Amino acid sequence: MNNLSVGRGARQTISIFFSLLFIFLPAAQRTLRAQTPVADTQLVPPAASAPAQSDFRLERIPVAGGAELLTIFGKLPGVAAAERMSQHASASDMEEADQDVPLVTILRDTLGDDVRENDRLRYVWMHTYTRPRAEQRAAAAVPFFYNRVGNKGATKRVPPPVVDLAATGRDVWQKLFWTATQAILLDSYGFMLKATTRTYRRNVDDYRKAHIISALAILSLYEAQTGEQPVFSPGELQEIQARLMLTEKTFGGIVDDIYLQRVYQQQTSQWRDTRGHNWELLRQQAEATGLIFEPLELPDGSTTHALLWVARSDLDANRGRKFKGRFLNIASPWDDRRLRAWQGYTETRYYDADNRVVAADTPGAHAVELLPLALYGLDHPKIPILLVDFRNAFNPKEREMSKRVLEDVARNVLAVSRFDLPYLLGRTVYDYVTDKRGMDINQPSRLRAYSQLKLLLSLDASLDPELRHEVSQRLEHVSLNPLENGRAAEVRLARAQYEALLEYAQRPDGLPAQLDRDRRAEMVPLKHTRTEQTLFRLANTLSFGLYTHREQAAPNEAATALDTTRQLAYHRHFLREVARTSVRVEVQWNIADVRRSLAFIAEHGARADGQTAAAVARIFAHTQDEETQRLCLNGLYRINNETAKDALARIYGDEAQDERWRTLSAEYLRRAAREDQRITPATAKIIAEMGGQ
Amino acid sequence: MILKVDGLPGAEVDRYVRERDPRTGKSLLPWIDHLFYENGTRVENFYVRGMSLSAPSWSLLDTGQHLQIKGNVEFDRFTQHSYDYLSFLPVWLANIAKRRIDMPGSEVLDELGVPLLIDRYKNYERYVSFQTYERGIHYSLLEGAGKNYLATHSPEELFDEWTLGIGARNMIYDEVERELIQRLNDPRVRYLDYYTSEFDHAAHHNRDRATHLAALQELDGIVGRIWTAIEASPLAADTAFIVVSDHGINSDERYYSQGFNLVKLLASAEGGGHHIITKRRLLNDYALKGIYPLVPLITTTTPDSYYLKGQSSDYPTALVDFDGNERSGLHLRDSDLNLLHILLLQLQRRDLAPDVRRAATAAFFAALDRRRPEWQRTLEELQEELGALHRLIERQRALVVAQPKKWTPKDAAVGRDKEALRQAVRLDSWQGDELDYTEYARTLENLLALKAENVDPAHIRIPDVIAKGAMGTRNNINELQNYVVGLMPTGLQLAPDGALDMARSFKRIDYFALLRNTTVRNNVQPGLDNHPIDFLAAQLPVEALRSATGDPDLRADDCIWLYRGDDRQALVLARRERGDKILLRYLPIARLRQDADGRISFERQAWRADLPLKIWEDANVSLPAGADRAAWLSGWHTDVEWLHALHQTEYSNGLIGLHEELAKFPTLATEPDVPGLTRDEQLMHRFRRRQRTLIETDLFVHASNHWNFDVRGFNPGGNHGSFQRVSTHSTLMFAGGANTGIPRGLIISEPYDSLSFVPTVLTLTGQLPVPGAMLSVGYAQAPGQFPGRVITELFAAPRQPAQPVSTDTTGSRH
Repeated sequence: MNNLSVGRGARQTISIFFSLLFIFLPAAQRTLRAQTPVADTQLVPPAASAPAQSDFRLERIPVAGGAELLTIFGKLPGVAAAERMSQHASASDMEEADQDVPLVTILRDTLGDDVRENDRLRYVWMHTYTRPRAEQRAAAAVPFFYNRVGNKGATKRVPPPVVDLAATGRDVWQKLFWTATQAILLDSYGFMLKATTRTYRRNVDDYRKAHIISALAILSLYEAQTGEQPVFSPGELQEIQARLMLTEKTFGGIVDDIYLQRVYQQQTSQWRDTRGHNWELLRQQAEATGLIFEPLELPDGSTTHALLWVARSDLDANRGRKFKGRFLNIASPWDDRRLRAWQGYTETRYYDADNRVVAADTPGAHAVELLPLALYGLDHPKIPILLVDFRNAFNPKEREMSKRVLEDVARNVLAVSRFDLPYLLGRTVYDYVTDKRGMDINQPSRLRAYSQLKLLLSLDASLDPELRHEVSQRLEHVSLNPLENGRAAEVRLARAQYEALLEYAQRPDGLPAQLDRDRRAEMVPLKHTRTEQTLFRLANTLSFGLYTHREQAAPNEAATALDTTRQLAYHRHFLREVARTSVRVEVQWNIADVRRSLAFIAEHGARADGQTAAAVARIFAHTQDEETQRLCLNGLYRINNETAKDALARIYGDEAQDERWRTLSAEYLRRAAREDQRITPATAKIIAEMGGQ
Repeated sequence: MILKVDGLPGAEVDRYVRERDPRTGKSLLPWIDHLFYENGTRVENFYVRGMSLSAPSWSLLDTGQHLQIKGNVEFDRFTQHSYDYLSFLPVWLANIAKRRIDMPGSEVLDELGVPLLIDRYKNYERYVSFQTYERGIHYSLLEGAGKNYLATHSPEELFDEWTLGIGARNMIYDEVERELIQRLNDPRVRYLDYYTSEFDHAAHHNRDRATHLAALQELDGIVGRIWTAIEASPLAADTAFIVVSDHGINSDERYYSQGFNLVKLLASAEGGGHHIITKRRLLNDYALKGIYPLVPLITTTTPDSYYLKGQSSDYPTALVDFDGNERSGLHLRDSDLNLLHILLLQLQRRDLAPDVRRAATAAFFAALDRRRPEWQRTLEELQEELGALHRLIERQRALVVAQPKKWTPKDAAVGRDKEALRQAVRLDSWQGDELDYTEYARTLENLLALKAENVDPAHIRIPDVIAKGAMGTRNNINELQNYVVGLMPTGLQLAPDGALDMARSFKRIDYFALLRNTTVRNNVQPGLDNHPIDFLAAQLPVEALRSATGDPDLRADDCIWLYRGDDRQALVLARRERGDKILLRYLPIARLRQDADGRISFERQAWRADLPLKIWEDANVSLPAGADRAAWLSGWHTDVEWLHALHQTEYSNGLIGLHEELAKFPTLATEPDVPGLTRDEQLMHRFRRRQRTLIETDLFVHASNHWNFDVRGFNPGGNHGSFQRVSTHSTLMFAGGANTGIPRGLIISEPYDSLSFVPTVLTLTGQLPVPGAMLSVGYAQAPGQFPGRVITELFAAPRQPAQPVSTDTTGSRH
């Protein structure tokens, strides 16, 4: 009995400790602490910028120690307009609102040279993403509390990155660890602890997701508006976006890099498909129900949202008319007293006899006064998602909350496990039916729709300021997340956090020191076995990211060691891509590039892995270019692993193969044996049976 | 080896082939560039003949014969039987129960005596992938797909694939490719094809460059993998590799394709209040019933029906096929059947005033008597045909009973088991036909048995005289211009002479004006027409045309009326000359009307802009040097001459396509007057022709640019089905081994259409002689049996005489 109570007490203590960690760690865990400070740094003026026509520009700021900060700035005419409308805005506020806002910064570790192959992208900072205030954190832990609790004030702290592109796997393991801790430990201590920790984690995750979505949207807009940028290598911007997209999937952080282009392509196609689909669904529903549809575009022309209006003159004409609101999720306008007495925002447009919108002075044009009914996001699967109901502010929030409440009750109150069979079956059926019928309760899509709407309101200058103000006000009320900040506050935070980041980049013990620490952590695979690396990773996870193993090395030493490693990774990635996509390499790829990578692999083959060997073997089989084939065989000889030697043995044993290559393979195998390279017993036997020297 | 790609637009392929990939310095489509642009031949002006719609279009490409299949879905007006050519799942499921063996399109073409290209090869000589005109079902493919997927991926790859989402479609396509590459190594196999609709799907959904390019790059990869497999195969030097597509697609990065709901319009009070049958469920993706795999007929019930409320399942009055989406085919119930039905319902009211009852009874019999000769003839002919069908069924039943029940592997290799099943399926289908048409004949007979002197219409049971679900015979122009949809709100009205006032009693609709004049409110894309419907087309009886004008120059064998407004109309006239030559003429007219007696009147007008097909104003019309525009366009010209003149215009070969779609082309199995036939054979030929006539729609509706009629779901990315060049302009490319003689780097600018495909392939494979060459021995098919032109440019260079490759010279189909 006594033992039991001691055990329980210990568990309680541990649980409380974990709860506190839950609440106060997430932002901190991304702020990596220095183990050793590093050299001087200096802030250099911006070096490059995007074409003047764009709403975006890019600033490139070198960081001492061999890196650069790439920051995308945007013009936010929507914010400027909102400031002008605000009665409290001072002249300086308005002047500031007209200036570009830093939106996203990416750290590229260049090792201080111009060699693209050894560059590595690291942190992505979304400048509106910040560490919450204590009150915000406390509110975020309150179960069934679905509201904002004000904004974060001024800050001078460096913003937490939304993702570390070079270590996306870390998030996966930590998430799994937290999930296990929650299920095994925290959930066993009653409703309060369980509900508090789960609610908090959920809000923290959603807050981060919302900012990743915004980052994605900004990168996509930047890419669309500025086209090919010399700052990013071909496909690099897309790979960054792919990594951000993968953060939505549980195991997305450990998906092989080779899939990134595919992820980007499929996901963007999927989003465009959904948008087009919802655009047309909403337009047709508007037509069928007698309403007016108006798409809203982001600066790149993509339509992410749409407004529905009703003509005031139709209210009388359609009195008593049936209204099918299945896909619209709003009340019938035809018998709505609120609309008949509408005093809110209206617009007047002019139509010709064929129902075309025309200029007011067009002969035969008639004026129609339009009342706004609702605003929808078009990125939700299957149906447009209601974001603003101009007659019923609670309607979108109710929809927003519905699934969340259901889940919270099931998981936190009823303590139903996701794997309880009746719950699983019920949930599967419920999900299928809601999905099939197209109900707008998909939470990730809702987050995306809100994030994009905030962006649209900031970027789009064409919206009438009064309408923008109405939409913004309603939007602020819908948010469920206490960690969220208002739109104007986010702009202030972005400026302040960017300043803080620049200051951090200037400090010798700031970003340059962090860069050094990251490089020394990157050196771990060069010095340790796989088992040791796994143990280090485990230690990192168990310490909630506070401990990271790093090698001891001077900055120059680290850069030199990483130069080859990163170039090898670059060429490995390239050759794997070539191997994966080609049935005749020279038809599809620039053969000189392929040869260059093969030559590099051959030169540094000792450190290449089995996947590289497999790619080289496949390239050999899929080219008729002699020089390339020769380089492949040389590469397979130089790569010191069993896969490479097995491949050589297969070429040697293939009687359909050209005799030259069989002879050369045999020669390489013999040499490998003499050099005591890693060879499987089966291949060793083949070598032994070859004879000759 | 034929790579069949659904909806591959020639211009888009060309654009991406010419663009360089900054990463590789190569073409964005490197294999197509390498194989067909640098080392092969491409036909840069290749068009679908007829609608840019998969089932009709592939039927042309797969047979080389004129169009018999007129839509992805066809409805029989008498029986409501639907021919759904694209739904493969019902066929697969029926095949498990041994009730089907071929896709519906292949079955229909068999009945019409039109062989497929694949029928020239024995079962073991061909590898046929999943497609619209497929024979036999390969279940082994599904099994192999899963197994091979697991076997060819490492655990890490499987984990990543699972994380990203495993695509079952890709697994099946991969397996088809794997099987195909295996069969390439079998020297007995002489014909292989691979069908893919991935690009078409992508372009329906997405209009953006990145999505299209990704789908094309997938295709390019397939081209590369197949070609390298061909190169490694034993018959590499003799193998031709052909990429062909059935149509293009109207997808434009600047526009979403906007849908217009024809079903809703027709169901509305102003559209006639029709209960409507479709073969696609409206908003299928949102319906729980949408998961039902057998694709039943879908009834859209309207609350606005004027006289058939609550009777949608018994009495639908419109059948709508909107597949392809840039066009639609509408069947409306015979307007006189509506009239008789309404009058019967009125006569069965007890509260009808005696004078109104008397007048209504007279009107009922007047209408019936007016149609009696025509319907009586139909009934008698149909009964004769059903007698012949019954005797055929008896013979077929004996044949099926006599079939062996077990088959050896050798039998299976040559397809005897499949052929036996095919005979049983045919029997089943004929029995179904007999049942359905007999029921229609029964009600028609009952109706015709009604006589004013011996029957009181008030006591007639309506389903006994008006067949449930039947549309009756096709409406003529007069009926479509004065279509009876119900009673006026004031009910039956009497004329001063005591007769029924037909004008004031019945609500009528002019469907030409209604459909064309419809506008929408939510057209938010500048540059798009507010009229979703561009023009309408309907057949016009040539006899009526003949009596309408004494002009011998307007003598025609086929006549099609195009309507784009009261003063923007045209007639497309066609003459069939000897040797399959077709002469066509476009006659601008206005205000065409047909009276109740069938007489036609119209005003001829000079060429002007904004007529249907917009030929006059199109800068891309290409006339012979020195030709006067108006004079040339007003003349009779062969289809090939029109193709030369119009193929670069906005509607490309629409003039030819409209004729192909709306005219009837006889086949060996639909001509009753062929010498040597028995009486039963003659009757069966007439029956087959009747069946094809019964699927002909009242109205062909052509969408305006970037509009579509899809109501099953949404296709904002793009659509096809129209005659817009972007939809009809397709892809045809050739490459091959050294012995095939296919020229390298050749671009053929001469325009061709889908009728050229089969004769060209047969010439290439040595089954037809090269045009102009001395006819040698061993050719199973004489060149004249194909109406299309062989693409002679392919054979311009001296080449090794090709040997007939099929060992089957009997033309055996299976």
